[in-house]
Amino acid sequence: MEGERKELNVEEIPVSSLYDRDSTVPINLNKYRKAVKKYINKHHYHTALFWADKVVSLNNGDCQDIFWLAHCLFLTEQYHRAAYCIKSQNLHKVDLGCRYLAAKCHFAGKEYQEALATLDVTEANSIGPNTRNQEPLDKSVVMGDKNWESSIQLLKGQIHEAMDNRGLAAMCFREALHLDVYCYEAFHSLIHHQMLLKEEEKALMESLPFGKQCCEEESKIVRLLYETQLKKYDKPSEMIFPPQLESLENNLDIKTAQAERCYYNCDYQQCFKITSLVLNKDSFHSGCLPIHISCLMELQKSNDLFYFAHKLVDLYPEKAIAWFAVGCYYLLINKTDAARRYLSKATTLDRVFGPAWLVYGHSFAVENEHDQAMAAYFKASQLMKGCHLPLLYIGLEYGLTHNIRLAERFFNQALEIAPEDPFVLHELGVVAFQSQDYATAEKYFRDGLDKVENSSQTVLPEKWEALLNNLGHVCRKLRKYEEALEFHQQALVLSPQNPASFAAIGYVHSLTCHWTQAVEYFHKALGLQRDDTFSTTMLKNVIEHLMNEMVPCEGIPDELPIYEFPSEQNLALLDSSPIIPTEQSDSGFEIEMEATD
Amino acid sequence: MAPISTWNLFTVKQDLLKAHYECSSRGLRQSAKWSAEMSYALSIIQIPPEEDPHFTQENPDSMKEWDKYLLAKSYFDVQEYDRAAYFSQNCVSPKTHFLHLYSRYLSGEKKKLDDMVDTVVPGEKVRNEALKPLRAELQKVHLQKSLDGYLLYLYGVILKRLQLQKQAIEVLCEAVHKEPLHWGAWLELATLIIDREMLSTLSLPNHWIKEFFLAHAYLELQLNEEALDIYTRLQEVGFLASTYLKAQVSIAYHNMREVDQAIEGFQALQKVDPYRLDNTDIFSNLLYVKEMKVELSFLAHQCCETDKYRVQTCCVIGNFYSLRSQHEKAVLYFQRALRLNPNYLSAWTLMGHEYMEMKNTQAAIQSYRQAIEVNRRDYRAWYGLGQTYEMLKMPFYCLYYYRLAQQLRPNDSRMMVALGEAYEKLDKLQEAKKCYWKAHSVGDIEGMALIKLAKLYDKLGEEEQAAAAYSDYVRDVEIRRGIEREEQSSAFRFLAGYYKKHGRLEEAYENAQKCTEYSETREEAKALLREIAQLRSMQENGAMQVEDNGSVSRGPHLQFQANNTPLGRLSPMNLTFTP
Repeated sequence: MEGERKELNVEEIPVSSLYDRDSTVPINLNKYRKAVKKYINKHHYHTALFWADKVVSLNNGDCQDIFWLAHCLFLTEQYHRAAYCIKSQNLHKVDLGCRYLAAKCHFAGKEYQEALATLDVTEANSIGPNTRNQEPLDKSVVMGDKNWESSIQLLKGQIHEAMDNRGLAAMCFREALHLDVYCYEAFHSLIHHQMLLKEEEKALMESLPFGKQCCEEESKIVRLLYETQLKKYDKPSEMIFPPQLESLENNLDIKTAQAERCYYNCDYQQCFKITSLVLNKDSFHSGCLPIHISCLMELQKSNDLFYFAHKLVDLYPEKAIAWFAVGCYYLLINKTDAARRYLSKATTLDRVFGPAWLVYGHSFAVENEHDQAMAAYFKASQLMKGCHLPLLYIGLEYGLTHNIRLAERFFNQALEIAPEDPFVLHELGVVAFQSQDYATAEKYFRDGLDKVENSSQTVLPEKWEALLNNLGHVCRKLRKYEEALEFHQQALVLSPQNPASFAAIGYVHSLTCHWTQAVEYFHKALGLQRDDTFSTTMLKNVIEHLMNEMVPCEGIPDELPIYEFPSEQNLALLDSSPIIPTEQSDSGFEIEMEATD
Repeated sequence: MAPISTWNLFTVKQDLLKAHYECSSRGLRQSAKWSAEMSYALSIIQIPPEEDPHFTQENPDSMKEWDKYLLAKSYFDVQEYDRAAYFSQNCVSPKTHFLHLYSRYLSGEKKKLDDMVDTVVPGEKVRNEALKPLRAELQKVHLQKSLDGYLLYLYGVILKRLQLQKQAIEVLCEAVHKEPLHWGAWLELATLIIDREMLSTLSLPNHWIKEFFLAHAYLELQLNEEALDIYTRLQEVGFLASTYLKAQVSIAYHNMREVDQAIEGFQALQKVDPYRLDNTDIFSNLLYVKEMKVELSFLAHQCCETDKYRVQTCCVIGNFYSLRSQHEKAVLYFQRALRLNPNYLSAWTLMGHEYMEMKNTQAAIQSYRQAIEVNRRDYRAWYGLGQTYEMLKMPFYCLYYYRLAQQLRPNDSRMMVALGEAYEKLDKLQEAKKCYWKAHSVGDIEGMALIKLAKLYDKLGEEEQAAAAYSDYVRDVEIRRGIEREEQSSAFRFLAGYYKKHGRLEEAYENAQKCTEYSETREEAKALLREIAQLRSMQENGAMQVEDNGSVSRGPHLQFQANNTPLGRLSPMNLTFTP
């Protein structure tokens, strides 16, 4: 008994001792109450439930005991019973904890309206301590009041999210976080479900009352930990770690955040290294999984992805991420039908899983099914208000269907969310280019390039080859041929053996009348891609130009000297020149040729 | 740099031993082989063992990773490149690190080669997937300036494979500065040099090995005299025993079309080093040109006995079959050579020629293009491309390729004649005339330039010059005792007409007489003779009226091109083996 008492946590001791004094029952109820908690700790929920039930009966329905009974019912997934158990006693009207639990039970049973009603209705009749049962309970609640409030807000947020009231949900989460800055779930929902714009995220971080709720040291840590998870894509940047927290650097969450940054920086090799490391330590680190899968996609490691998806499905068939992995695998091997099947399974399992919607859209986009792709992206954009990617993809699809206006509008929206994302700037440049506004296009491209060059380390990732080539195109249009060449050459360094770059360089050379180089580069382009009609036609024209301009051969006068007659001089020349007796082989060949003819 | 005659051979030998040690410990087998060969040529000089790096201790730095190094090196040696790369990752000692990256590169190359087995026809691209990541990785380190000579070499090779020539040249120059003893780096650099000007602008380290490089580069650039000069001086200073130098000298003769001297050189080389396969393909080219069937057959069998699966062997056998007009079989062997080494230049060119013989223009174009991709100074491939496009009736393309071939061999009349013909097809007669004229003046190999020039003069109505050229031609043929019936007959016919027109009846008669010797002009000649006889009698009768009958012979003259198909006269093989 003494031993067990020590095991109980400090918070509960005053409560139980209170009961001890008030209780008139001869049986030592406390012992059973402790047993209930002990069994819950040991995950023997049914045993706990049995004793909790008995305690309630023995104690004539004490509020606290009913709470525990409901708690046990919740743990054994008997949500209806649990809710009924509280509501039948009207406890949800008087006690915050019970109210929260009842609502949680409704939420778990997917009765969202019920849940909301439970939370809302009782709010009107505020807590008034008038019954015997409530007195102890209130005391127990007093200290944790804030916590209940925060939990209630969090739950409300989750309910709203489940009901697709994303605005309300975001508000509730924010409220929850304000009430308790340690409430990571609220933070996670806000950030990872992409509910906030970049500015809003910043504002949230500013407004959180770290100072009030934790000491200075702690507030630093919390703030830093949260900041590592903020928007990583719009402006890829390095993570700076203060020296006092170096030990945290190997924390898997932090590592994951690092990997994500690498991913958005297009440094897939590095990203893959980190995610592999994380998954080596924790094979199914949930935060790391989507990044690892995306990374495998980017690196085209289809075999690895196959195995990984299989493992995930075996272990977590009820999780969206497992089916997401399967869908990604099928998309990678170009089986779009199967990919869609599994991706839609992933989206039904987790309705707020944005990446699945995006990949679902991609599966249509690769087949040029623009409308369906857009539908999927639109869905994703509803789910991820704070993420610019769906908007970017919608814009792309509009661009591909030649709706330049609309495309531009969506890119601008994307730019509002992520004002410094080089991808968006690049696409805006493309739109401007298509509407022949070359100066603007150049500006956008250069902005994008600035961002990329500032953020990435020494070497640009291969992804930016298109940006450089487009810069080359735009410079060519603006008649800055030197610069255009420079950009195309840079693009070639990033992504060598690219026929498009070669053709572009050839084109610039042909515009500047450098026929020899033009011919050479068109040749290179055609060597890599034989059915390139642009290069073929250009090459034909350029070669004609070149041959019309070229001198037939070096070292001869413009005007040939008159051939002397009779020509002693030439005869002398003939005598001295080495005459190889090739006649023999010549005639031999002629005979051979005739034979083969 | 000190002139060759003042070299201290002792230090040279020391350097060679060091180079061999460094290269072989890094798995750079070809460079190690070269160093060993050169060192063997200096076997008179003895290096005390304490100064030989092979017998001295490793430096302690690399000793730390000695186990890893040994493991990786062993895997490398048995061609398990992925394993070698895996066990040497994260190593810092220069050798192990090099081995790691080099293994990854070779692993990619090997996989590329394995994939190629399925795609026999050239053209389909199989790529080395390791190149791009390796480039990105090496670029990062390169920017930090912490690549040593060998890593720079690897970086340069990768850049070259990715067709980034400009960058490759810079990096390889840096590589030879840091590690001049690594012969492989020099060789890679040599393949990237386009012309003499470029060679002279490169900044190269002042090291004795530079002479070898310069000679090699000259040879590649067809600057054969310069190359020969250096090689003779090198032989004089003490490398007389070097098989490498002997082979290079023979190649120089081969390039200069000194066929006999070249064959002699190779035969001598065979006596000293009977199992040597390097450069035997060039030897076989020479035998092919001279149609020395027996010798070629012997060489083919000998190579086959030594090593069936060497590129050189395959080329020799291919040539052997080609000489026997078994072109399908020849192609088969060239393909085998290319499977063994897809960067083997001469196999690509030779295969292109075979495809030309088989009238498979698409395949021929692909082969020639591959050849050019491997080495853009291969004039035979450019010329081959010209011929293919001539067959495909794309005159501008054809002109372009001939012109490039001609630029690479400025003094080769065959290029000039081909170029002239291409111009003629495009009705650019003035340009054509210049080409023929130049071809004639640089020393005509095939004896075709003059007659073509003459015909062109005729076509342009420059009668005087045409006559001059024709008579030159006739004289020339007599000197050479050549038999070119058609050309000769038309020459005589023209001359007969010309002289008749100008009233020089003696000469006219002489030439008309000659015309009767040829069946195709016999009838015409007889008519002409009758006319001359008539004129003579008229002359004798004092009637000095000369009728302009020149136009009689004009008509048939203009048709001369019809029986002059490009392929009939200029077979591609013919060109290949008399470079």
